[in-house]
Amino acid sequence: MTILRNREETMRTFTLASAFLATSALTAPAFADSHLQVVDKPMELTIHMHWPRAQGYDESYTVEKKACELTNICLKDATAGRNSTDSNEAMNLLIAQGNMPDIVGGHLIQQPVNQYGPEGAFLPLNDLVKEHAPHIQAFWDSHPGLMEAISSYDGNYYYIPYLPDGKYGRAWYVRQDWLDKLGLEQPQNVEELHAVLTAFRNDDPNGNGLKDEIPYFSRQWEEVNRLLTLWDARSSGSDTYHDFYVNDEGKVVHPYAQPAYRGALANVAQWYKEGLIDPEIFTRGSSSRDYLLSENLGGVTHDWFASTSGYNDALKDKIEGFNLIPFLPPESAGGVRMEEHRRIPIKPDGWAISYMNEHPVETIKYFDFWFTDEGRLLSNFGVEGETWDMVDGQPIYKPEVLNSDSPVNSQMYLVGAQIQRGFWQDYRYEDQWTSEAAREGIALYDANDLLIDQFLGVAFDQDEQKVYDKFWPSLRTYMLERQQAWILGSGDVKADWDSYIQTLDKMGYQQVIEVMNAAYQRQYN
Amino acid sequence: MMDPNNTTGGSTEELVAEAKEALRIRRPGRVQRVGDHLRREWQLYVLLLPTIIWLLVFLYKPMYGLQIAFKDFSVFRGVAGSPWVGLEHFYTLFGNDQFLRALRNTIYISMLSLVFGFPMPILLALMFNEVLHQTFKKTAQTIVYLPHFISSVIIAGIVITAFSPSAGIVNTIMGWFGVDPVYFLTKAEWFRPIFVGTTIWQEAGFQSIVYLAAIAGISPTLYESAVVDGASRWQMVWKITVPSILPTIIIMLIIRIGNMLEVSFEMIILLYQPATYETADVVNTFIYRQGIQGGQYDLAAAAGLFNAVVAFVLVMSANTISKRYSRTSLW
Repeated sequence: MTILRNREETMRTFTLASAFLATSALTAPAFADSHLQVVDKPMELTIHMHWPRAQGYDESYTVEKKACELTNICLKDATAGRNSTDSNEAMNLLIAQGNMPDIVGGHLIQQPVNQYGPEGAFLPLNDLVKEHAPHIQAFWDSHPGLMEAISSYDGNYYYIPYLPDGKYGRAWYVRQDWLDKLGLEQPQNVEELHAVLTAFRNDDPNGNGLKDEIPYFSRQWEEVNRLLTLWDARSSGSDTYHDFYVNDEGKVVHPYAQPAYRGALANVAQWYKEGLIDPEIFTRGSSSRDYLLSENLGGVTHDWFASTSGYNDALKDKIEGFNLIPFLPPESAGGVRMEEHRRIPIKPDGWAISYMNEHPVETIKYFDFWFTDEGRLLSNFGVEGETWDMVDGQPIYKPEVLNSDSPVNSQMYLVGAQIQRGFWQDYRYEDQWTSEAAREGIALYDANDLLIDQFLGVAFDQDEQKVYDKFWPSLRTYMLERQQAWILGSGDVKADWDSYIQTLDKMGYQQVIEVMNAAYQRQYN
Repeated sequence: MMDPNNTTGGSTEELVAEAKEALRIRRPGRVQRVGDHLRREWQLYVLLLPTIIWLLVFLYKPMYGLQIAFKDFSVFRGVAGSPWVGLEHFYTLFGNDQFLRALRNTIYISMLSLVFGFPMPILLALMFNEVLHQTFKKTAQTIVYLPHFISSVIIAGIVITAFSPSAGIVNTIMGWFGVDPVYFLTKAEWFRPIFVGTTIWQEAGFQSIVYLAAIAGISPTLYESAVVDGASRWQMVWKITVPSILPTIIIMLIIRIGNMLEVSFEMIILLYQPATYETADVVNTFIYRQGIQGGQYDLAAAAGLFNAVVAFVLVMSANTISKRYSRTSLW
């Protein structure tokens, strides 16, 4: 009964009965697999799970069946907003209709649970986890800073996130066969990159006699800003574009209001003017990588390891000698090699306990199950013996999974693994189906110290949120407007700089930075 | 009838006659009258019922939610539970230069669409009406109707490709005359013409159907007598066709003015860039960007309410002006 004594006043509303149940589960007679059992008698919990691949939780997932068998807790689907593919919309619908299922999970739940949790819609998990979820607690203890990052402004956290594994996301890629043809080396610094791009532009590396090569391209126009890091400015502090970052003094600032941005953007504009950057980068859209690579036009890009490495196989019959490989980020003008992009360690996806849940202790124990060794393997690879086997202590996919026509992740989604519940991803899952070229690239990046710390966001209190909502969207619009205009050559960033900074201040930049830093100090101390 | 204060002065016969008369012409009570009417005409009311229900459920009930424009709205607390904040959201909107710019752009783009876009379907209808070759007429009609049935996403894709500096047909043709390629979709000064042109291309054909229907309703005898009088085709168009469809034109114009602020913002979102916000950002896209940050429904509702009030004023004025000068009006 120590469980009850240690609880805060509010927690006492959770019925005595649930505490008894919890105790009896601990003292239940031991039989096979019972160490994972959460309750003696089978229990059903309802769940909202809205995510991009499926608008609902499939009770027939083999992973769900296995979890139900092991824990004695089965989930029943109660997802709102099935007819929409927008998870935010589904969440708002769920909250507005008032009748919430026991578990609320899925895509992009961080913002809503942190907003409505303190208003009473979701249960704070701090004490529940401390008392009943040793495996989740162990994860927090071994990954300092992450629990703070998902906390709301009241200091509590309200959801168990989907925790991705693996460090690297995007990398610099170059057509090695073009370099070879022109007798060039991989660029090691910003001047060499300039020389390589210029050669790609002028020396007809695709050999069709036309000056149609696009030296630097990207399927997201925002990647043009990645070039800013070559002159020691920043483009973003996280894997979201245009995000704030924490500077050397430990202060949250925005990259587009820093002095380094002025010179760096002037250089980007110069490169654009020289035709080294795709002239249509702003409108070419998401299929530009497919188009420019398969038409033998694109030279250098900055994109994800896994998907970009796939082109060598896909295009080997179409373009002779096609060889697009990762190269180290060129040294910046200030002599720094930096890969600004990395995978975010916590996703805004996962699951939370709603205030209508009558079994919070059982629910958090169920959440904890997914952080046990068995639960983690189940959530990552599916059911043992069906999709994978343990070989020398390693979970290895069956050949029919690896050699199937459909990608491994799609197969996992169908059995209920890798879906957006609160779970800890295991990089071994992805590693097994990563191409050799990408693996080499990752090893290359891994051998060099390239990654930088990410800004994981802050949780505002209501007053701070108001300031942020009032000023930030307009500031962001203005910054992007000016940025594009400067790159496109209407206006000169160096000449316009002072009035730009003045306008930012007039539009509330300092107020936004103030609330950002107040929240940051509170949250990360 | 006699002055009631004076009745005492009348003779008995007069009083009796008056009472009889009053009894005879006494109309049944209001309830009874409505009852009679319903018994007689109930089929018409049954026909009307679905529309009434639709109006109540989808247009009147949501009006209850309009109050969030004056509240600090939280989805969890609900419409009733959220605290009032008065006109705060309106102050926020009108204190924002970008909102004012969006408002200016909305009005500007709407005016351009009205001036260039409104006459186009009328001209098309008049031209189709004059075409005698049936196969040619059908083919041409199909071609101009077609863009209406294509999704805006596809239309935007076509436009982006057509105006592309490297592969676009526009720049290719300009290239033949030695003009350097222009990256149209990043040039603020080009956004409005491209947008207005695109929407005209997309919708003018389909909108001409209304006018074609109106033209079909004109009595052929008018044309026959005009032919007898020796009128030219040009004269027939101006003296018979146009005046005959004028009421339709006026009604369409009033409706159009009422919808003026509802610029088709999905097309703008598909075509605009930060570089063209200067001329492209309209109220709806502004709200889309502001609202998307943390779901500011209250602010979006305030802007929506403002939009609706302006539209209401516009449609009322258009109707009044039209009633006064042309005696044609919506109500």
